[in-house]
Amino acid sequence: MNNAIPINIIRFLGLLTLQVLVLKPISYGWDGPFFINFIVYPLFIILLPLRTPMPAALLSAFAMGILVDLAYDSWGVHAAASVLTAYLRPWPLKWLQPREGYNVNHSPTRKRMGMQWFLGYASIMMSFHLFAYFSLDAFSPYFIKSILLKTAFSFPLSMIFVLIIMYIFNPED
Amino acid sequence: MRGLLQLFAAYGGGLLFVLLEAISITLIVQYNQRQGEIASNSMGLFTAYIDNTSDWLTDYLGLKNEVIKLQSKNIKLLEQLDNARYSNAVFRDSIKEDSLKQMYTFIGANVISNSILSSNNSLRLDRGSRQGVRPNMGVISDGGIVGIVRNTTEHFSQVMSVLHSQARINASIRNSSYFGTLTWDGKDPRYMQLNAIPRYAEFKVGDIIESNGFSQIFPSGIVLGVISHIEEVPGNNFLKIQVELANDMAKVRYVYVVNNLMRYEHDELDKATDE
Repeated sequence: MNNAIPINIIRFLGLLTLQVLVLKPISYGWDGPFFINFIVYPLFIILLPLRTPMPAALLSAFAMGILVDLAYDSWGVHAAASVLTAYLRPWPLKWLQPREGYNVNHSPTRKRMGMQWFLGYASIMMSFHLFAYFSLDAFSPYFIKSILLKTAFSFPLSMIFVLIIMYIFNPED
Repeated sequence: MRGLLQLFAAYGGGLLFVLLEAISITLIVQYNQRQGEIASNSMGLFTAYIDNTSDWLTDYLGLKNEVIKLQSKNIKLLEQLDNARYSNAVFRDSIKEDSLKQMYTFIGANVISNSILSSNNSLRLDRGSRQGVRPNMGVISDGGIVGIVRNTTEHFSQVMSVLHSQARINASIRNSSYFGTLTWDGKDPRYMQLNAIPRYAEFKVGDIIESNGFSQIFPSGIVLGVISHIEEVPGNNFLKIQVELANDMAKVRYVYVVNNLMRYEHDELDKATDE
């Protein structure tokens, strides 16, 4: 329980490295014609412990976003999307609340909550994040068609990466 | 300090969210060329919209001055008309320029209160004795006759509307010399009644009724309305004529007070006749 902070720091660094060193080069060049952009780092926000205070969640999401921005050379775009995702996290958690409620000491992981629940929760969070990210990237409702196409194409592929990670590590918290 | 901390504990998430988003969006606009261009473009459009709105507001607020200017222009034009002048020409081959002496002048005024519902209606104008308005002056609008000034104070004047049971207005049928008196029966503010037109007069529905200048209150030739209905009353030598007013008394707003510069001569004549 007290190792929640080290675990999350390790997860933070691991996902950041994966995103910047592996997924960015893969996405590079597919962004244009195929509307595909692999984005996995929001998994960090998704897996934050349920008892995480909102300011801590927002600050860590901001830190994650700004570091990804450094690598993508897109100052603020990922940061704004991450902060929004972290801020909206209580809503999907509320919608998907099990009948017996949550154990606040747990994290919303596949192992704790079950595959079906996790799939729904992660899908909602990822689609929030992707839509916010591509909207801020385009920065005008004029590009709504391209925003929606990018979200629709990037969502399943990013989700596949998220699920692969969950299967490999299968973290408890 | 404790209150501030409590506030932050209650709303800290929301405040921090807004702060972090503001930082992020500032970064986006500052350091990303494409998004920055979109933002400055949108800001430009927004500023243009604000400018347009404030221009429109200024125009609207300036309208009052504009109305006063237009009124004075209209007065100048009204005073140039022949029916506002006294003709000096007597047995001359041609009318010389100075042969038309100014007889009527006009004072622009705004209606500040009006009524049409009672049987004795009156209006109030925002011009009074200081601007030269005196009792028994006529009041016209661009659509026709409005009434006659009854009382004035320094800044305001009370006008007896044509829609008044006591109102008597000399009127003739255009292009015929028959004249009568226009009165109001107190029923419909759109219609007045023309009396004292003999039964044998030749005219038809749709003919124009105009002022004839007999009363020295209004210039001649002001259109008052059109004949809408003619009724023959059995045993009466005069016709009952219904006149539809050209002027909508319900929305009269800007008016002109008519000043007859030669009125005093008629008053002298009246006095001499009475003696």
